[in-house]
Amino acid sequence: MNIIKAKSNNKTAKGSVEEIKGIFGEFEPRMVLFFASSNYEPEDISAAMKAAFPGCDVIGCSTAGEIISGEMLKGSVVAMAFNSAVLNNVKIEVIEGISEAVDVSDAFRSFESFYGKKMDEMDFRQYLGMVLVDGLTCAEESLMENIGNKTNVFFVGGSAGDDLKFEATHVFVNGKSYNKAAVLALMDVKSGFDIIKTQSFKVLDKVLVATKVNESAREIIEFNNEPAAVAYANALGVPVDELSSHFMSNPLGLMIDDEPYVRSPQAVDGSNVKFYCSILEGMELSILESANIVEETANALQQKVEEFGKISGLVNFNCILRTLDLESTGQSKEYAEVFNDIPTAGFSTYGEQYLGHINQTATMIVFK
Amino acid sequence: MAGKIKKMIDHIIAKKSNNDSRLTSSLNAKMCLKGVIPKKYDASSPDDPVIIDKLQNIAAEWGVSLAGV
Repeated sequence: MNIIKAKSNNKTAKGSVEEIKGIFGEFEPRMVLFFASSNYEPEDISAAMKAAFPGCDVIGCSTAGEIISGEMLKGSVVAMAFNSAVLNNVKIEVIEGISEAVDVSDAFRSFESFYGKKMDEMDFRQYLGMVLVDGLTCAEESLMENIGNKTNVFFVGGSAGDDLKFEATHVFVNGKSYNKAAVLALMDVKSGFDIIKTQSFKVLDKVLVATKVNESAREIIEFNNEPAAVAYANALGVPVDELSSHFMSNPLGLMIDDEPYVRSPQAVDGSNVKFYCSILEGMELSILESANIVEETANALQQKVEEFGKISGLVNFNCILRTLDLESTGQSKEYAEVFNDIPTAGFSTYGEQYLGHINQTATMIVFK
Repeated sequence: MAGKIKKMIDHIIAKKSNNDSRLTSSLNAKMCLKGVIPKKYDASSPDDPVIIDKLQNIAAEWGVSLAGV
């Protein structure tokens, strides 16, 4: 085994990390990735994890629920360790102050210096980026656009959570804890990898055009030249005062190659509608209708298993709205069991990253 | 005048992707997320200055020269 996972429900950071270290045993990690409930003090859990694995890079973030093969958890820590048969190398950088402005230039210069290659010349089949970002900064769009402008290497990840308290989220790097920050890990992957982006929606034949927006506030003022809430409710055929009860099951999708990049509504504010990610003026968005998350995830995974033969490890960045949907339909266990036979670690996110910032999606990194 | 937008999109994506099909697809998605939907434009599409301006910005951000396009 070149990728292994562990979990702990111990209430203390020290106890959890000791348990995880015990499970990892003699395994020699090149990198340890961990996702911890916000119940743990961020400084304590980050410091304890690095102290337990001093010889390798240790990164992670706080969560709104943890995922491990066969289980969806709350109030716990999950971890995944990768050895040098999987990763030739990894370089970690922290970008701080992202709520003010995002600039990845210094981080990318560091990556270029470390690997001896320009970011725009790195082979996207060999190098893979992981991004963990404070989930309360609204900076993800800017971060992902900044990254995507400078490289063809795929950066995949999630926005940190805090168990739905919406107070503070944290990212962790080598013993330290940060907020208003993003962690970028650029991996030179030896064993092969791929990315799964899966969302479970039917695309309805109804389109809303964002005709007036407040982009930085992630707020739509008008759809189809009408007050946003009115146009959205009319398109769904429901009264405006019932609109928000349809948000989970009827988000919007920017259609790209027949696949939705989901934009999830958060709240009605007067006649405006606030979203969990930004929408540009002029964007045409299809109304979506929720489908079976378990079934679509299992299908996406099965396709990858058939392609790879065997998956040696999977990191799952699963939107908290999917987790809540699974809980409301009583399918959490069934969803977790989709990953029974694959070493899996992940968490319930406040947003997912793949090419851009998206919602109600699972982005997964799959290692061959 | 017509067709300039399609030419610009094709040029930017070809240069940035080196015609690799997986990159072509991801760059198409990145362009959509920036508000330009490549499939909406063909050789007869009018030369909308707002879209041309957006494409000039994208080319600059991606380090692609538009000389000769």
